[in-house]
Amino acid sequence: MNSGSIIPVLNLLAAGAEEGHASAGPVAHGPWWVALIVVLPMLGAMLCGAAAALKVRSKLPAFLTVGLLGASCALAVSMYLELAGGRSITVSYRWIDFAWGTGEGQRLVANFGFYIDSLTCLWMLFVTGLATLIALYASEYMSHDQGVGYCRFFAAFNLFVFSMACLVMGDNLLLLYLGWEGVGLCSYLLIGYFYKRPAAVAAAKKAFIVNRIGDLALALGTMLAFVHFGSVEYAVIFAKAQPYIEAIKSGHLDQVPFVVQVIPLLFMVGAFGKSAQLPLYVWLPDAMEGPTPVSALIHAATMVTAGVYLIARTYPIFLCSEYALPVVAWVGALTALLAATIGMAQFDIKRIMAYSTVSQLGYMFAGLAFLSSAGAAYHVFTHAFFKATLFLCCGAVMHGFAGQLDLRKLSGVAFMKGWGIVGLAMLIGCLNLAGVPFTAGFFSKDMILAESFVTMGPGYQVLGWVLLLTAGLTAYYTFRVFFRVFVGPKTFEPGDELHAHDDHGHDAHGHDSRGDAHAEAEHGPAGHAAPGHGHDFHPHAPGWAINLVLLILAAASIAAALPYFMGEHGGWVPKLVHESSATTISDGHGSTAAFLASGLHEPGASAHGTLFGQDPHKIMYYVSGAIGAVGIAIAFVLHYAGRKTAGTSRADALVPALGPVAGWARRKWLVDELYDALVRTPLWVLSHVFHLIDKLLIDGLVNLFGWLPRAAAQRLRPTQGGDLHGYAAGMAVGLGAVLILVWMLIL
Amino acid sequence: MIERLSLLYPEIVLFLGACLVMVIGLSPKREVRSLCGFASAGSLLIAGLLAINTSAGNTTPLPGLLPYVKAILAGVGLLLVLLLSGVVDRRDEEEIAAGRRAFSAMRSNRAEFHAFFLFSLMGAMLCATADDLIWLFLALELTSLPTYVMVAVSTRGTRAQEAGVKYFFLGALGAGIFLYGFALLYGGTGSTNLAQIARELARQGAAGDINPIAMAGLMLAVVGVSFKIAAVPMHFYTPDVYQGAAAPVSAMLAFVPKTAGFVTILTLVSCAGWSYGFVDGRDVYGAGFALPAELRIALWVIAALTMTVGNVMAVLQTSIKRMLGYSSVAHSGYMLVGVLAGAAAGEESGYSFAQSGVAAVLFYLLVYGVGNLGAFAVLASMERRNPDGELVEADEFGDVRGLCRSSPLAGWTMVLSALSLLGLPPLLGFFGKFGLFSAGIAAGDYALVVILGLNSAIAAFYYLRLVAVSLLDEPQGSTYAPTTILARPLAGAVSALGVIVLIAFAEPLMQAATKAGRVAPMTLGVSPEGVRRAQTTELPEPGTGDRGAPSGAPAPEGEHDGAGH
Repeated sequence: MNSGSIIPVLNLLAAGAEEGHASAGPVAHGPWWVALIVVLPMLGAMLCGAAAALKVRSKLPAFLTVGLLGASCALAVSMYLELAGGRSITVSYRWIDFAWGTGEGQRLVANFGFYIDSLTCLWMLFVTGLATLIALYASEYMSHDQGVGYCRFFAAFNLFVFSMACLVMGDNLLLLYLGWEGVGLCSYLLIGYFYKRPAAVAAAKKAFIVNRIGDLALALGTMLAFVHFGSVEYAVIFAKAQPYIEAIKSGHLDQVPFVVQVIPLLFMVGAFGKSAQLPLYVWLPDAMEGPTPVSALIHAATMVTAGVYLIARTYPIFLCSEYALPVVAWVGALTALLAATIGMAQFDIKRIMAYSTVSQLGYMFAGLAFLSSAGAAYHVFTHAFFKATLFLCCGAVMHGFAGQLDLRKLSGVAFMKGWGIVGLAMLIGCLNLAGVPFTAGFFSKDMILAESFVTMGPGYQVLGWVLLLTAGLTAYYTFRVFFRVFVGPKTFEPGDELHAHDDHGHDAHGHDSRGDAHAEAEHGPAGHAAPGHGHDFHPHAPGWAINLVLLILAAASIAAALPYFMGEHGGWVPKLVHESSATTISDGHGSTAAFLASGLHEPGASAHGTLFGQDPHKIMYYVSGAIGAVGIAIAFVLHYAGRKTAGTSRADALVPALGPVAGWARRKWLVDELYDALVRTPLWVLSHVFHLIDKLLIDGLVNLFGWLPRAAAQRLRPTQGGDLHGYAAGMAVGLGAVLILVWMLIL
Repeated sequence: MIERLSLLYPEIVLFLGACLVMVIGLSPKREVRSLCGFASAGSLLIAGLLAINTSAGNTTPLPGLLPYVKAILAGVGLLLVLLLSGVVDRRDEEEIAAGRRAFSAMRSNRAEFHAFFLFSLMGAMLCATADDLIWLFLALELTSLPTYVMVAVSTRGTRAQEAGVKYFFLGALGAGIFLYGFALLYGGTGSTNLAQIARELARQGAAGDINPIAMAGLMLAVVGVSFKIAAVPMHFYTPDVYQGAAAPVSAMLAFVPKTAGFVTILTLVSCAGWSYGFVDGRDVYGAGFALPAELRIALWVIAALTMTVGNVMAVLQTSIKRMLGYSSVAHSGYMLVGVLAGAAAGEESGYSFAQSGVAAVLFYLLVYGVGNLGAFAVLASMERRNPDGELVEADEFGDVRGLCRSSPLAGWTMVLSALSLLGLPPLLGFFGKFGLFSAGIAAGDYALVVILGLNSAIAAFYYLRLVAVSLLDEPQGSTYAPTTILARPLAGAVSALGVIVLIAFAEPLMQAATKAGRVAPMTLGVSPEGVRRAQTTELPEPGTGDRGAPSGAPAPEGEHDGAGH
């Protein structure tokens, strides 16, 4: 079959699918250059690998990366300008085309093709944009490692962007899976970047292994989708899912086969693994062992939103399922609450941000499940910017204070010399995360919160209150960090990477005067806890690259609020989502399987929940704004007002009052220990049993099969004595045997 | 007539190339004589390009064989030319270079060697072009006769001569057997034209009464041609000859005669079956599996025995050349599974690589040729001097110990070739074996597929040993040094690269193999539903070609067309 022939078929199918969709046209051919968005990062990975082989010791790989990713970002922008709003497929390379029959579902086609619609554009815009900025940040942040390690870092960084681009832009589930595994691999490589530190290695392994569970589910879901829909290509799958959606719209839930209900459940488990939701969230906080730019890019802004993307991308299938979206809603909301409670009790500021990421991802999942895919996507978008800002600020602190991340040992950082930009960026990030009115985070979170009260579903009202409570907790723990670390009395205690840091600091950054630094930092009494080194230590303020990136990101975090006012339907992002496959299908609300099953309303009728007897869309601004303000106020009272030292605050007095609960929260509700007992121990026992079986039974069989050919060969060996007459006789006998066989058969 | 001539362009080019090489080889100047290799490579290149552009218009039941078979023969042949450089005249060249002797025009064999090589390739190509039993016989012998000489002159000393003599005598015995088979086939069907034989056998088969003489002839022919592919019971010569000949010549023996043999077997079997029960993929006559049961069972037994004997014997070898010889036997067994699975009949549309055994065999020939060439090239590129001052190639497992460290290029070539021959994903060999497995499964021959699987496991034993020895072991004071002939490691490196790079082109290659393995629908006198459609598409027509017997319309009955014989 020649290369052009599959596309018209897809066109036909997709055109059929789009009937009833006002906003989307048929699938068109995309331009060839969108492939470059994927190819350039791969090129970068190869060049960085080559640089590692050549033992380059300059910042060349970093600037190479920034250049290539910047070009990729520019292409993503032009892709958005040209293609958003439509649907196009660009087939760059015919990868797998494999048939074992002519029937339905007997042909597997998976190309290196790119399915470009508004959702793809949205994701690629912030993935490539943030990757470029964070690469620039990392060029300075990683500078103490210049050499092979530096090249390795940027090679993996590029490889990550390549994989993420495959994941987002692929036109079929197989390419998505490839990208999915690729980002998992890069995540593993980058978490374990400091491979000499046991904690980093353990964290990398944990991330990888926990993700396997989700990946397995995704693989099973992909296979099942192929079995049922006969294809792994989105265009075909969406076209074939359309009748089910129509059936649900007209209230015939029973027409949706069971297997179609299972596929989204499997995808959902995959998404929970990658996006760190209950019960698979445990890897993400540990992943903070990686370098901070990695935490910012992979474990906050982009990779962990792959689960959200997966559900949004395959939204038509999710809409077919009776159970999938309600499960997503419950898991998302409970994860949001649980992670927020853990985050409140932690002291490591990067870990707090990690739990906050888990919590915010919970919001996004809940948003998807509340049929507010637009809200979820908008929250992904705003969260990407402000969480990256927050992480990079934490990273700057860590970089400057020799790895110190404990909020009890740092205070007043924003007022030290050279740290103003960091403090400002941190404040902007915190305001966004806390959902202070008129910030981007406020608008995006409100879209989800309001929808939770509007949409009818099993227990959705309860979840709305859970998420509102979580919003208050979020505001508290966010400003707890800000009030403890960035304002208040100026005092600090350097971290334990002091020595290593000083060694490199002078070569790499050329700090000329120690006296200066001493003069800047007024050491409080607590600041001298580290003996010896502490006296010589000077925090080194971030350089131009870090400051520039922080400024850009902080500005972007603020600017992310603007799209909310652009256009109808709640702004620019929702418009993009509505143009894509992730749009909700109904004119009214709630015409999906879940709501039909819940029996809450008649099919086709439009239901609209209320909050305090009002339209939630209208009053949510005030409600969530008030809750956020309360959270910030509590943080102010407990952690700022009257605080004299870095290590103590008024909150300490409250801890005994809470009894053991505070301790449990600090120990992460003992989830790791629970998993240990429930999963690891039984597996360990089982593995020993299997080891015995393997050793006695399987090895015995294998040895037997190894022995048989040898024994046979020993017997046959005399026939090969090298004697010409013998060979000729052998041939004659063999011929005779064949003829006799045939003769016997004929008779 | 003239249109048929265009099918022969590659062979004609090779013939002209061989003539040119022989003329060059008579030159009194040493420099001119050294152009022989370039001349053969050039003619192979032109032949290959012409082959790609040949139309698939043969009149046999497998009309599409020509372009594909000739193209892979020319392609792997180019690598073989590289590898074969320096096989003859090495000692003379060295002595002349050292100034011990002047150039003597009488002592150089190079031209004959290269010309023989081209003749052999030409014979293999002719096997694909042949539409007549006599032509087929001549083509087969043209393939083999030069190789007897090439084996005998490939190294100095008695081993190569012994190998050459054995190969010649046993080859003559094999040729006698299949020639007898051809004669009986003529007796049983009344024709030497393959298309007419196919028609006649189909007519007899549809009537449920195949002439026993024809059946015996078919059987003798298949068993006799088994010699070319080194299948049981004609496999005995393989290890001795492969070990006795120089490694480059062994590499050639494992590819060129094997390809010719498989093309012949495919052609013969396609005359006997596959197609006649099926028209447009439908079992028109209710004949079930289209091959006659006798042929089917014989092929089944031969396939099972061939792969098992080859693999089992390979396990014990300490000589890599012998091991590769036995594994060459085993690979023929694998491919026979594809022959047995046959072609899913019908037209191009309803027809894919994974279902077609013929396509799998054709693809596997290329896969095996490339992988095998790499392994032999490594042996050819490691040499040491024996006490007589002769150069000896590496042969024992110990000779390649730690090769990846002592000589990385050769070592990795060996590792990649062995892994590809083993069929390890994602190397090229995996795709080849995949085709055989899926064709076997598609044909419903599960028992044979299981045997194929078990044999692949046994093969893993000795191939992985080869990998382990060259990759994991430490080099231990080996007396072998890389050869001074750089073309040999180059040939190995190209083929090692091939098992990786060709993965990217596996899809088009498989498509080409699928196209080549398409069986032309055949018409019979009886005309049930669906046959009419087949009549309009493509018909093997008898009587064209060199004999010039005119016969335009398809003969409804088996015409006894013995004109010219």
